[in-house]
Amino acid sequence: METRFDAIVIGAGPSGSAAAYNLAKAGFNVLMIERGRRPGAKNMFGGRVYKAPVEKAFDDLDKAPIHRWVVKERISVVYDEEALTIEYDGRGRHSFTTYLTDLSSWMADKAVSAGAKLITEVVVDRLLVEDGWVKGIISGDERLYSDVVIDCEGVNRLVLEKSGFVEPLEPDNVALGFKEVLKLSKDDINKFFGLEDDEGLAWVFMGEYTEGIPGGGFLYTNRDSVSLGLVIYLGYAAKDLKSHVYDLMERVRLSRIFNKYFRDARVMEYSAHMIPADIKSFRPKRLVYNGLVIAGDAGGFLLNLGYTYRGVDLAAYTGYLAANTISKVSGEYSQESLSIYEDEIEKSFVGRDLKKFSGVHTLYENRRLFREYPILAINVMRRIYNLEFESTRFRDAFNQSRKGLVGLTTILKDLWGVYRNL
Amino acid sequence: MSSKLKLRKIRLEDMLNNNIWDVDPRPHIILDTSKCRDCEYKPCIRLCPVGCYVSHGDEVLFSYEGCVECGTCRVICPKEAITWEYPRSGRGIHFRFS
Repeated sequence: METRFDAIVIGAGPSGSAAAYNLAKAGFNVLMIERGRRPGAKNMFGGRVYKAPVEKAFDDLDKAPIHRWVVKERISVVYDEEALTIEYDGRGRHSFTTYLTDLSSWMADKAVSAGAKLITEVVVDRLLVEDGWVKGIISGDERLYSDVVIDCEGVNRLVLEKSGFVEPLEPDNVALGFKEVLKLSKDDINKFFGLEDDEGLAWVFMGEYTEGIPGGGFLYTNRDSVSLGLVIYLGYAAKDLKSHVYDLMERVRLSRIFNKYFRDARVMEYSAHMIPADIKSFRPKRLVYNGLVIAGDAGGFLLNLGYTYRGVDLAAYTGYLAANTISKVSGEYSQESLSIYEDEIEKSFVGRDLKKFSGVHTLYENRRLFREYPILAINVMRRIYNLEFESTRFRDAFNQSRKGLVGLTTILKDLWGVYRNL
Repeated sequence: MSSKLKLRKIRLEDMLNNNIWDVDPRPHIILDTSKCRDCEYKPCIRLCPVGCYVSHGDEVLFSYEGCVECGTCRVICPKEAITWEYPRSGRGIHFRFS
């Protein structure tokens, strides 16, 4: 194999493959390096991908391994094995469910078909840096040279850390996502969740399952399986979590709300992955250096608003922007000329969203959202609906439920916080 | 079979039997257990999603074989007792349905 490339891409996940695919299409001699046995083998996500940004990065998305198109959205708060749920039963087919392992393979295949080279089962140890320039990568005793490196190594960014481009991660910077993939028949899924054909459901929930620690749960319907999982913010969990995280997971599956769906299910896989949490603290100081561009999770491109959760589409899109920048400045890869990439990101929906929602993480710091408010919501519902003879006025149910739990001014203040940041 | 039987908690060991690994004979994580004794919180024990860290009195027992390479332990360890590398040569966890 030739040991010099126009570009080396670290990681064949959604971001790396998007970068490699678009560079290969533009005629670049690109090498993708993947540590897994196949692209996707080390990837894990909650379960849903928004279509439009991925469609910019990849042609023929309709041929991708798409399981179901999400038409139904549910948000629940859970307390004492009871849930209050908002459901949106829509017609939009703007996002789909899949196995990220398969989608990543498909994306890498696209890059390879376009002419990118892929080597798997190779761990990149560090960037090859000479005189303030990234000149390639080091893996074991091997050095591979390229004009530019695109780091798409993901959230657990050892390469950037070891090469001195970012500080080591702190618990506050990340969350942990973990899930069980549970096999059900396609018919059962459609029956249980009121879906037809390839319609899908996305369900997020918060409350007692995380023991009041910031985070929440999710359920996504795949073609003939369901992904059931939790996300927990590690800064809080490291100090306050009493149970083992796996026990939290099993409590969800066995809870009154969820166990009815899984009585005949079979476990297919149990997986876990870190997630960039706070945009500001996770993002590297710069996204470009001399000879280096950072995209995907490694750059902190993740958006969790509580009601939507986006990572894969941002990863693919930033990989695509990285490729565009490199094509544009072709050959001139100083930090200054690569800074077009940072401008492109700021101008794009990615930058606008990250800016728009930059205060969202302050909401996680408000523990009442995860502890007191689910209790309040369920108790109000109980007072209104669990009646015997006399009906309950909403305001009485509300005031009785919040007494001793949370004050009215605190509620108003918290509502204002939610309103301001979302 | 009664459906209630299936409503029991699955032991973590049994849950992990659904996964596929190609375990690297060389550990990719090395724990300096001497640093664990003074560790008050020992967050690794509760936060490793696959239970690689087990409490044993003041000590922490560690095994790397079931690791899914999430990196949580290396981030949350307050004692910097963990040396963490990715498994080489495609070894380690091999996700198929995630």
